[in-house]
Amino acid sequence: MGEPDDAGVYQISEDLALIQTLDFFTPIVDDPYAFGQIAAANSLSDVYAMGGVPKTAMNIVCFPLEQMDISVLREILRGGLDKMIEAEVALVGGHSVEDKELKYGLSVTGFIHPKKVLTKRDIKPGSMLILTKPLGTGIINTAIKAGLASEELSQKVIHVMAQLNRYAGEAMADFPVNACTDITGFGLAGHLAEMVSGSGAGMRIDSKSLPVFTEALEFATMGLIPAGAYKNRKFRESMLHISSDVFLALADILFDPQTSGGLAISVDKSHAEQLLNSLHKKGIEWARIIGEITTGPERIWVQ
Amino acid sequence: MKEIDARGLSCPAPVLLTKNTIETDKPGQIRIILDNEASGQNVSRFLSSKNFSVTLDKQGNDLIVTGTIQEGGISKGEGAPVICDISQEDHLPKHDKKIMVMISSSCMGRGDDELGAKLVFNFIKTLKEMGNDLWRLVFVNSGVKLTIEKAQTIEDLEELQTHGLKILVCGTCLDHFKLLEKKRVGETTNMLDIVTSMQLADKVINI
Repeated sequence: MGEPDDAGVYQISEDLALIQTLDFFTPIVDDPYAFGQIAAANSLSDVYAMGGVPKTAMNIVCFPLEQMDISVLREILRGGLDKMIEAEVALVGGHSVEDKELKYGLSVTGFIHPKKVLTKRDIKPGSMLILTKPLGTGIINTAIKAGLASEELSQKVIHVMAQLNRYAGEAMADFPVNACTDITGFGLAGHLAEMVSGSGAGMRIDSKSLPVFTEALEFATMGLIPAGAYKNRKFRESMLHISSDVFLALADILFDPQTSGGLAISVDKSHAEQLLNSLHKKGIEWARIIGEITTGPERIWVQ
Repeated sequence: MKEIDARGLSCPAPVLLTKNTIETDKPGQIRIILDNEASGQNVSRFLSSKNFSVTLDKQGNDLIVTGTIQEGGISKGEGAPVICDISQEDHLPKHDKKIMVMISSSCMGRGDDELGAKLVFNFIKTLKEMGNDLWRLVFVNSGVKLTIEKAQTIEDLEELQTHGLKILVCGTCLDHFKLLEKKRVGETTNMLDIVTSMQLADKVINI
């Protein structure tokens, strides 16, 4: 692999390559079981984003033994394991260290056909862009921290973050997909900018068709925006042209750092509706066509 | 006036503190001292959503957000969308002097428009000679035509932008000329940004 991508790929034979990735982070929700699920779903996601199938995983744990009861760790690992079982991934080991701050994630190894590797930058003009999960989790997590989100909303967001991108990955295998990535810490705009830079193509995003937690719009208007969103905006602003009639709160959501976000899939226009139907049939109800790939320059226009 | 010192607090604590204060004390005016840009923006947005008019000032390392309640009192709902786009400076190069150049026409000077177009092209090409003193470039009225696709000036403007120059393009003007979708360089801006820029600049040059 020349350019950095979601995961590393190492070719073993003509029809088999290994795909490897790791990710771990500090808790984003209070419930340890849910945190374990989310962290595992997030770690596995990079393999799906490359078009691969995860096979084995190892736990990565940093745990503050002196401040926290070991039962917390047990719950985290149970959440992680449940996601690995759902993904049909074998847990083959792991490593833990004592640390002041709790962290959890996975190191994942998967299989992929060397000719079917989906990189970020192979977007082609004439393709449509599909996003599979709703945006706004960073803002809502900030509202949860502030004690302003309802229990119902936090359950809804946990459910979405813990959802595996496996089913989206399986759905796109049947269609002429030319590029894919998963949406995480850099926010939608940041990850789309990665797809665009170096591709020779541009993007047009229809802000009205973005799948968004509507509560995130309210919280953004109230100023409950994580500092990361401002950093993401600073970093990528020059690549984006956001039309002045896009609601400020919606523009904020473009930069909102996502945890275990969905896949952004670039698929040939002729098959976009079919892929969308297939995603909906697999229960990925939030999936939407959010825009299209245009010819260069390498910029993103948001309307 | 109610004053809150929210320095040392990280998001979302400053917003919560502000929220509690306006709900309990219902002040007509409130002043919040902060020490980071994200909190400055968040508190500004929050106050705007509650029907306060908001200003944001920099004093040394501190940010001061001042909110004054507008007619009709504190709004209960989430309120109107906020037009509070505070400039973010710290990723830009260091400026000894802050020069703002405002270009309000697609040609330079009066007399002959063809000549004027050539002159403005040369002017933009030569602007980089100002070095880091050039702080902001603002386009209004027919000046916005210099920022759209196929404009002769695009290449030079893009170069200035990649070197960290902040380019602001008037949204009302783009809309007036039906060019909103054709803009290829700079950020779409509003009059509040332009006025604030003028206030912060050491020198404003009008073309």
